[in-house]
Amino acid sequence: MELNSKLEAVGLTKKYPGTIALKDFSAVFDGGKVNAVIGKNGAGKSTLMKIFSGAIQPSEGKIKINGEPIIIHDPSDAFQKGIGMVYQELSLIPELSVTENIFLGRLPKKDLFGKSVIDWKLAYKKTKEILTSMEIEIDVKVPVRKLSVGQQQLVEIAKAMSFSPSVLILDEPTSALAKHETQMLFSIISNLKKHGVAIIYITHRLQELNEIADTVTVIRDGFFVGTENMEDVTPAKIVDMMFGEVEQRTRPEDLGVSEEIILEVKNLTRRPEFEDISFRLKRGEVLGIAGMLGSGRSELLRAIFGADPYQSGEILFEGESLPGPYHNSPALCRDLGIAMTPENRKTEGLILPLSVRQNLCLASMNQIAANGIITITLERKYAEKQAHALQIKYSNLEEHVSSLSGGNQQKVVIGNWLNTDPKVIIFDEPSRGIDVQAKQQIFQIMWDLSRKNLSSIFVSTELEELLEVCHRILVMRHGRIIQEVFPDNTSLEQLYAMCMEA
Amino acid sequence: MVNANRLQIDFRQYIMEAILIVMIIIFGIFAPGFFSITNMLNILRNVSMQGIIAFGMTLVLISGELDLSVGSHVAFAGCLSAYVTQALSVAENGMLPETAAIIIAMVIVLIIGFLIGVFIGVFRTRFKVPTFITTLALMASLSGAGNLLTQGFPITPFPEWYNFLGGGYIFGIPFPAIIFLIVFFFIHFLANYTSFGRSVYSIGGNEEASRLSGIKVKRNKILIMAIVAVLAALAGLLNSSQIMSGTASTARGWELEIISAVIIGGVSLQGGSGRVWGTFIGVMFIGIMINGMTMLNVSEYWQYVVRGILILSAILINQIKEMNTE
Repeated sequence: MELNSKLEAVGLTKKYPGTIALKDFSAVFDGGKVNAVIGKNGAGKSTLMKIFSGAIQPSEGKIKINGEPIIIHDPSDAFQKGIGMVYQELSLIPELSVTENIFLGRLPKKDLFGKSVIDWKLAYKKTKEILTSMEIEIDVKVPVRKLSVGQQQLVEIAKAMSFSPSVLILDEPTSALAKHETQMLFSIISNLKKHGVAIIYITHRLQELNEIADTVTVIRDGFFVGTENMEDVTPAKIVDMMFGEVEQRTRPEDLGVSEEIILEVKNLTRRPEFEDISFRLKRGEVLGIAGMLGSGRSELLRAIFGADPYQSGEILFEGESLPGPYHNSPALCRDLGIAMTPENRKTEGLILPLSVRQNLCLASMNQIAANGIITITLERKYAEKQAHALQIKYSNLEEHVSSLSGGNQQKVVIGNWLNTDPKVIIFDEPSRGIDVQAKQQIFQIMWDLSRKNLSSIFVSTELEELLEVCHRILVMRHGRIIQEVFPDNTSLEQLYAMCMEA
Repeated sequence: MVNANRLQIDFRQYIMEAILIVMIIIFGIFAPGFFSITNMLNILRNVSMQGIIAFGMTLVLISGELDLSVGSHVAFAGCLSAYVTQALSVAENGMLPETAAIIIAMVIVLIIGFLIGVFIGVFRTRFKVPTFITTLALMASLSGAGNLLTQGFPITPFPEWYNFLGGGYIFGIPFPAIIFLIVFFFIHFLANYTSFGRSVYSIGGNEEASRLSGIKVKRNKILIMAIVAVLAALAGLLNSSQIMSGTASTARGWELEIISAVIIGGVSLQGGSGRVWGTFIGVMFIGIMINGMTMLNVSEYWQYVVRGILILSAILINQIKEMNTE
């Protein structure tokens, strides 16, 4: 393996209709080092990566390996040209063995009675060599599904390494890993450095940088902000670079909170997702929950709403205890006056083959269908009421909901629940993938609810949104609530650091 | 421009109806007697029993499930009805008059039909066994059970009047055709105007989203499977009346013919979409095509070939329709 290869991005730009995802991005990633790339959600990390892997072509600019400009046509071409990729979502085939996965489609062959057959002995030997060189101990014949997620991640890396790449790109490799697995992964990565490979490590976890990275490159709004050596930089400096100058906006002044408790959660636990969660939600309050992906926030909300069971603890709504861990259900919560707009609108929120009208009346079916028979005029009225109040843009109420834009789809999900006249609405990532205007409208909905003395729980990965919208924010990390903060005296950097334990 | 567009869309919505009308006109021109009242009623009678089940099957497919057991269920229901009637009305045990025996037998058949549907539904919702598998197993077991009840030979305990159910007329309209129309209106109403019907569509369109909207997914799935099973039992009773016996070998292969009709009617196997009216058209389509070809002396073997072509063409038309709307 050649020593100290180098990957350069020169003026990379990626334009999409109406938006520019990456703007004149230039950076150098040296061999023999772990080069971290950090940025918030939507900063352009994944666009950059897709360009390196050949999944998309840049609109302008080029990529150089060891000074040679190259064009990457597609992902398999990237492998041929020495760029190994390890994706966040594992791409292994669970039923096949470690060896079969690593050499998928290119198992070594040998000649047997004039026929070309797989040379298993050689395949196992080569796999063992790769794993040994990475100091990984895994049985090469075991089916991948029997391995832990961490081990699977290592197999994925071994697969990328089997192409002897000069550049290895890791996309948030620790997002699904437990702590000890992360440590194992880090020691493997440090080891790979010695081979001279240029490692690009994409993450949004600040606390990992000190442990693993040699340099850090910050990307913000598609721009290259800077590259620093880890020795010369403080976490606060990195956060500064990630966020730039942000104007912190605040909620309207007139949102009061009453002292009356509407929802109380006591010691709610489901290991390993969340543990010992206790909090109180007041009438009229907008309560934020801050936490990174994998902090257990969505799992917690689903358990409160009865979508998934919990192991122990208690949920009190208007002073009444909800039935135990396995008897809570969305239907029950709906009837009590709790609503939830789920994290993923397409897979959990909408019935795509049905119309806008029908999607707006799913949860309120009992109201429009007394005795089980739908009153069509009433249904239209319900649908029109929300469509109007939420300013949903559609050409026809009978149109398929799938033809609406993301923001309007999200409003349909919210409208579906507003039709049930809920007392508490849980918003799980309502602002994901929608435009700025639609976001502001959704915040407005939460504030309007607050003015009517109704409560919201608001989860978002975009911490500045929480600071803008909420009365109070709970910070979740590794399945626990570790802090309670108030937007009035908390800065974005502080909140980010709490989520990241930086 | 706008108007032209709207006309085009409307036409696309009713393309199967248009094809059906063209087919009827062609048969009317070339097959003498096709347009006679007798023949029309004949067609209705011939499609009625499979049609009754097809409406239930429509709900099953819209909800994203499948029921392969309906054919065997028809045979089993007929055998069970004959068996119970015989057991209750033979001379030795003869406490009961024949009429009472038959009515009890019919009630038992419908109740057991309901329970079979509940069984399929519970396997699906509690143990996550696909309905394809459960009903495939039932297809074999019910057929075997029918043979066990009848010892492999048709049993004929029914009195003359019983033939009315499958072969009789009211105001000149075949009785099973009346049942067929009643079931059509009933299921059509269920699908379009009730919260249960809406949940059938929403469960088929997105089960998780339905659950999270507070729809009782498990209960409704069980109910859907029970409805089609009861309709199969009902068709089994009508069929046993028509052939005046409990026969284990009857109705073989009906499940696929019924599913074909539903698919021709535009119900998607992915679930979430389809119309009960479409199934009505699909059922009539197959019935009229078989009738017309028979009148034109087209051999039965050709009829099968044409039916296959028809299913494929219907799917193709629906797929193209789908692609155009996206």
